[in-house]
Amino acid sequence: MAFAFAFLLSPLLVVAGGALLLMLAEAFTSKRGRGDHGDRASGLALGTTVVFAAGFAFSLGVWLGDIEAVAGADALAPWIVIDRFTIFFDGILCLGGAITSLIAGGYLPEHKLDRGEFYSLLLLSTVGAMMLAAAGDLLTVLLGLETMSIGAYAMTAFRHTSKRSAEGALKYFLLGSFASALLLYGFALLYGATGHTDLAGIGEVVKVGGTHSPMIVVALVLVLVGLAFKISAVPFHMWTPDAYEGAPTPATTYMASVVKAGGFAMLLRVLFTCFGDKASMSWSAGWPPMLAWIAVITMTVANLIAGQQESVKRMLAYSSIAHAGYLLIGVVGAMHSMPQASATVLFYLLTYMVSTAGAFGSLVLCGSRGMEAVSYEDLAGIGRRHPPAALAFSLFLISLAGIPPTAGFFGKWFVFRAAIDSGFYALTIIAFMNSVVAAYYYLRVLVFMYMREPAAGMTTSVPMRSGYVTAALLLSAILVLLLGIAPSQSLDMAIKAASIFGSS
Amino acid sequence: MATKTSHSAASLPAVPRHSAWVFPAFFVLALVILVVVLTQLFGHAGGTGAFSPPNAMIGAIVPVSVAAIVAALIPSRQGYRVRLALALIAALFAIFVTRLWPNALNVQAAATSDAPTTPTTLAEMPTLLSWLIGLPMAGAIAILFLPRQTPRLLKATTFVIMIATLFAAMPLLRVDMGRTYHFNQDVVWIERFGIHYHVALDGISLWLVVLTVFITPIATYVSFGSIDKRIKDWCFSLLLLESAMIGSFVALDLFLFYVFWELMLIPMYVMIGVWGGTNRIKSALKFFLYTMTGSLLMLAAILYAGYTYGQLTGTSSFDYFEVGRIAFPMHVQKWLYWGFAISFFIKVPMFPVHTWLPDAHTEAPTAGSIILAAVMLKMGTYGYLRFCMGLFPEAASQYAPTLASVAVLGGILYGALCAWRQDDVKRLVAYSSVAHLGYVMLGLFAATASSIEGSVLQMVNHGITTGALFLLVGVIYDRRHTRLLDDFGGLAKVMPVYAALFVIASMASVGLPGTNGFVGEFLIIIGTFVSNKLGHVNGVQAVLAAIGVILAALYMLTAIQKMFFGPITRAENKHVTDINAREVLAVAPLMIAIFVIGLAPNLLLSQMHGAVSRVIDDMTARVRESTPPFEGPIKLLPRSANAPKPPIPITNAAEAIATTPGATAQ
Repeated sequence: MAFAFAFLLSPLLVVAGGALLLMLAEAFTSKRGRGDHGDRASGLALGTTVVFAAGFAFSLGVWLGDIEAVAGADALAPWIVIDRFTIFFDGILCLGGAITSLIAGGYLPEHKLDRGEFYSLLLLSTVGAMMLAAAGDLLTVLLGLETMSIGAYAMTAFRHTSKRSAEGALKYFLLGSFASALLLYGFALLYGATGHTDLAGIGEVVKVGGTHSPMIVVALVLVLVGLAFKISAVPFHMWTPDAYEGAPTPATTYMASVVKAGGFAMLLRVLFTCFGDKASMSWSAGWPPMLAWIAVITMTVANLIAGQQESVKRMLAYSSIAHAGYLLIGVVGAMHSMPQASATVLFYLLTYMVSTAGAFGSLVLCGSRGMEAVSYEDLAGIGRRHPPAALAFSLFLISLAGIPPTAGFFGKWFVFRAAIDSGFYALTIIAFMNSVVAAYYYLRVLVFMYMREPAAGMTTSVPMRSGYVTAALLLSAILVLLLGIAPSQSLDMAIKAASIFGSS
Repeated sequence: MATKTSHSAASLPAVPRHSAWVFPAFFVLALVILVVVLTQLFGHAGGTGAFSPPNAMIGAIVPVSVAAIVAALIPSRQGYRVRLALALIAALFAIFVTRLWPNALNVQAAATSDAPTTPTTLAEMPTLLSWLIGLPMAGAIAILFLPRQTPRLLKATTFVIMIATLFAAMPLLRVDMGRTYHFNQDVVWIERFGIHYHVALDGISLWLVVLTVFITPIATYVSFGSIDKRIKDWCFSLLLLESAMIGSFVALDLFLFYVFWELMLIPMYVMIGVWGGTNRIKSALKFFLYTMTGSLLMLAAILYAGYTYGQLTGTSSFDYFEVGRIAFPMHVQKWLYWGFAISFFIKVPMFPVHTWLPDAHTEAPTAGSIILAAVMLKMGTYGYLRFCMGLFPEAASQYAPTLASVAVLGGILYGALCAWRQDDVKRLVAYSSVAHLGYVMLGLFAATASSIEGSVLQMVNHGITTGALFLLVGVIYDRRHTRLLDDFGGLAKVMPVYAALFVIASMASVGLPGTNGFVGEFLIIIGTFVSNKLGHVNGVQAVLAAIGVILAALYMLTAIQKMFFGPITRAENKHVTDINAREVLAVAPLMIAIFVIGLAPNLLLSQMHGAVSRVIDDMTARVRESTPPFEGPIKLLPRSANAPKPPIPITNAAEAIATTPGATAQ
């Protein structure tokens, strides 16, 4: 039984154990390498990637093993629930972590930030995210959330000499704590109203009592606000652009991929387990209209602002907000067709994650120390001077814009399809129009890369050389194309993972 | 650059040898005629009326060699290389014509005992269309791995792949198309959503595919003279574009069609944006956003149609024939129709969404303009014919009268008037495209056999003629770096060959009898005149469309007058070199095609008859069934008799995406 349990928990344990090992390794190796020589820390990057790869491999193993039939799977329930949903998220979180650590392996030495803490933070924060995906109790939800968030705060502030990094981290920290507090307050009210801390138990009571109890309604609103903060939906997105821009790019990648995926895992689990009954999920009495409005506002506002940005990194930050909007459409769609729509959310998360991680990675590759690619102008002429980087960047942007045959297109296709299946025509049309707006600013990057030359006398960004970043881009690019051409397998997995929510 | 100089070096000594070329050639010609006469005499001596095999062979060789020799003799100032290449092109055309000729000889031969194998008996290679899509795609990927520093290698690879694709497409012509689809390939792609990789070809898409594989190498070849930066990216874009264009003409799965449709966008966007003129970035973005808006509406309609199919059957499918079985009630159908139609109208482009076209054309490099005008605009008209009229016939026929008026007034007349007022030649040709595609759309709206055949023919014609015009405008732009009509004048004196070619292309564009433009426009106007689908104004529309021909003559002749005749007013124009070897070779196939189609349109029309009558039959059957407008519950009609058989019965792959109880139309 203990063995079975260890088997089910192995992805999380591997990553956690790996984090501790790497921390020890970092502490006990000589300090001589600190500073300009990046060899040892780069070794850490490799180690981190290996740990994540192992985590991914174990998730795959657990997935292929018959989870439902393993005895003792519920040994830690309701605190930690291991089901296909958890394992799916374990897999994609490890994937995001691996890409992030590869990017960090190139970025940190290049920018003289090469300190081993980053990798421990990365690993432990991912452990938090994985725990969040597995959490079946308010307590573990908060535990996972804080583990994940605190790591992310620290990574944001990693470039401690930079004011912007500190500013971003402070904003992120304050607003993040605020969101956690709101969430906690909501949880407290939920506990007060239902007498349960486990999500399933709360769900049972809410189902019976309906959403008529004012305390539950207030709790629902607070929880939704807290969740919206975490996935950076408008109007709770204020911290995102600053934190994304100020953070060192690997940390941004991490926030855009892993933290966002973790946030959505929490959102899906909490909403569908606690408020998954008919009444709460109805248009007249439940959360869907609220979330639909948030989705509309998020997409529209983020896309409109993203078009105005001068910094590519900031543009990508707003794009990540906009994608949260598209994802929320899938969540709202779950109102009518629960497993299908939430499956599209999972699949979209996967496609979005590889695309956005790749995009940030390309941005890293396009710059070097002192000559980081930040604004559109910095990218001018990259297509001619550094074709592979530009080609990769284009691929990821095309995927983010949702143009076939890339992963992003299928992600959008499935989400919109689910929305149409659920009868949300207006929502779909708005999402379509948003896609056009989004295409504009993604293409602007292509315009600068391929069609403009840097103005005379301007300093241009010089692409860096790094095997790590190249490997990260290669990995993401392969996934983007693979998911764009043959999405069947991963989609089946997403549907299987989402099927735990049952049909409403 | 190196090839250019070698050509001009070769052409210098060729001038004095001019007479030396002519006499042997005439000698050969006389010899050939003698042989023909002899074979005719002896061939009939047996009295059977059939040809003996050697005679038949000679009969096949003679027209080819005559064509080759005549083509070799025509250019007066070119070297032997150009003559040889021209002879080759002409010979290929002659083979094309003789092979496709729906002639009496074949019938005669078939009547006698030892009938030669007729083309219809050839086995169809089911994967041929995939090869056509795959060859350029593989080429594009291969280009990525070739070194950037070897432009000659890159160019050669690209061109060889395109020519290979052209020849690979030839077996398509040897099949008697009839009413059905051929070269059907249907493979499950994404099982869960019932998405198939389904490609097939009928008599309508056949000619558009042939047009694509014919025009793209020409555009590519001519571009190699003027594009001198970033050859690798250029070759990559061209090959990717060709693959996507072929794909969207043969895709019969709505999803697959959408994928190819979108895939075309990026290379074209890059082509305009990177190698375009001064205002290129704005134009490229405009092009992209216009098309993207339309295609997202189409995507929404595709999604809804697929969803409805799932509701009806429990299985998911985006197959053209399966979705075509759904009889949508009118209030739903009109939304779907507009979703598709707006996307196609933007691409065509129809008034009032045509405004991206002049900008895109003006800024695009020559090859980009050629491909854009010749092939990509046809996506819109083809899409309308195939998808709007095929899937939503009731809505299509309901809106046809209004839209036909828009096509006449906004397209044919307004486009022509705009063209008349342009002072930039390229903009003029771009607006003339608006007018010409107005004819095509009018023919589709009229929906009679002759008007649709005329439309399909006019799609091909417009591709050839406008392709030639853009190519020739590119020639003068490369020399003078201006396209303003006022900057030219009297060019016929300094560039006589160029002027002659330009006038021929313009006449074809105007629709002079004997050129291809005439046949298409004539069929469309006739078809419109007899149409009963356009309310009661079809007579007026036909007359206005005919007036459009006069306007076309007006703007084209004005442009020719300003460019070529009159005194040479500018000093720069006195020493413009005439069209060079590369450009002659590039434009020659187009010139030959103008006359081949103009004189023998039946070559193309005979393959279209079946498919067009199928389209009309399907449409009338559906529309008759649903008068008064069908408002009833959505139902599923039987699968069309002309549809290819599905490969395997679609399994219940879509169970997980099965119908959902709460999801009803709001």
